[in-house]
Amino acid sequence: MLCEICNERPASVIFTQETMQGSSERHMCERCAFQSKMFHFDPNQEPLSIQQFLSNWLGGPEPFQSQQQTKEPLAEGPECPECGLTFRKFLDIGKFGCSTCYDTFRERLPRLFGKLHNGHSSHNGKVPVSFNELFAVKKRIEEIRLKMQDAIEEERFEEAASLRDEANELKRLLTDGGGDANVN
Amino acid sequence: MSIDNFMKHAVTGWMSSHGEHSDIVMSTRIRLARNLRGRRFPIAFSPEEAKDVDHLITEALLNSEENGYSYMKVSELPILERQVLVEKHLISPQLTDPERHGAVVLSEDETLSIMVNEEDHIRIQCIYPGFQLDGAYEKADLVDDYLEKKLPYAFDEQFGYLTSCPSNTGTGMRASVMMHLPTLTMTKQINRIIPAISRLGFVVRGSYGEGSEALGNIYQVSNQTTLGKTEKEILSELKNITLRLIAHERRSRELLMSKSRIALENRLFRSLGTITYARLLPSEEAARCLSDVRLGIDMDIIQDIDMIILNELMVFMQPGFLQQYAGTELTAEERDIFRAKLFRERLEVGHKRLKEEETGE
Repeated sequence: MLCEICNERPASVIFTQETMQGSSERHMCERCAFQSKMFHFDPNQEPLSIQQFLSNWLGGPEPFQSQQQTKEPLAEGPECPECGLTFRKFLDIGKFGCSTCYDTFRERLPRLFGKLHNGHSSHNGKVPVSFNELFAVKKRIEEIRLKMQDAIEEERFEEAASLRDEANELKRLLTDGGGDANVN
Repeated sequence: MSIDNFMKHAVTGWMSSHGEHSDIVMSTRIRLARNLRGRRFPIAFSPEEAKDVDHLITEALLNSEENGYSYMKVSELPILERQVLVEKHLISPQLTDPERHGAVVLSEDETLSIMVNEEDHIRIQCIYPGFQLDGAYEKADLVDDYLEKKLPYAFDEQFGYLTSCPSNTGTGMRASVMMHLPTLTMTKQINRIIPAISRLGFVVRGSYGEGSEALGNIYQVSNQTTLGKTEKEILSELKNITLRLIAHERRSRELLMSKSRIALENRLFRSLGTITYARLLPSEEAARCLSDVRLGIDMDIIQDIDMIILNELMVFMQPGFLQQYAGTELTAEERDIFRAKLFRERLEVGHKRLKEEETGE
């Protein structure tokens, strides 16, 4: 097969271009291919917007993989039960709709925060006093739980039982007397 | 409106030229973003939720020990007054949209403003004159401490304070200093400095916000990162960057003075002439001349003008203020005329006062 452009040299390069209308193939010789504009980005094509970039980057498949994949609609991702925002939509608008969104997208957020905050993805600053107390109680329960395990392993069952009662008492404080607060 | 009467209403806390390094750092701002638990963020909430949030927050604030808070519902303010609040930096442009059900609570001296239903339910903002990062943070922090006792905050062990925009998540704090850097701009050194600062997790932009060029050689330096660092760390990093910028600017001033004194004096005095006598003063020219005159005062080249006048003029030259001064809406050309008039009158009042003081009371 001869080169489409010069019709002189044999075609040794095949360009496949994917467009909305479908794919087209062009066969060229090396020299014509080198001079061809197809090596460059089409200046008339819209530049990649930041949101698109973010979506590709953080949401969907890798952006520079074969183009067939990006043609498929990206998965919507989890949907927030509180405000109805999907992860896909969140990436589009760049804003959370409510504090429950953070829970809904929790697993995907560290990566995103890392990009936005110089590699950091967890909070290190001020903590409201009410949460501080909560933290203290949670930490205390964790300590008791460890002691309890030790006691059980060393067959000090009486001590383990009293530790369990202590932990349950604290748990009740946390959950305001909720039913599933047993420490086992 | 007479110039004296206008001034009485227009001057706000951060315009006074107090505070450390106030010749270069014009003002310091701390902003804390907070949201209430169990209520959707403003981007997604219903009008009922909006009213509910507004009610909860303002109720808590207005019942506080601190007296002199005033409350304003944005939708009830005339458009011109909204614009003036924006130009005084007391509310953000986004809050002026009446659809948002926004409101603002202001302290008496206006150094403290709490915006309700902006991008987040609560935006606590403290602006102090000069370079006062710690002071401004302490004040904002106090309000935050007070509010967290009254209201259930949206806070997460892992992510900290939850905000609508992921760029605020964590501390929810944006600390910024507004700096006048004329000689770093003249010598184009600023073009090398800006990218260097951005590598440290801080941003430099023109004073009129994102994407604006530095009108009047005024830059805003603020933290970009809100996650992973403590408030103290962010503040101390910003403090270091600011101090280094101040030192750079001072060195450039000295250098310029020793190398091209006459050219510099010529430029600064011409600008003084322009703001004193011009009959038409477009905003770019006004900003440039104010920057020159400010530099002249800082370097003791220009005497007999109080710096506070320059701070005021920098704010008053904006469209909202001009129209308030004129008492009517103005076209762009009319604004240029009024701007020139306001500048002349303000400088004259300042001059008279200075003379009175000299001749003795």
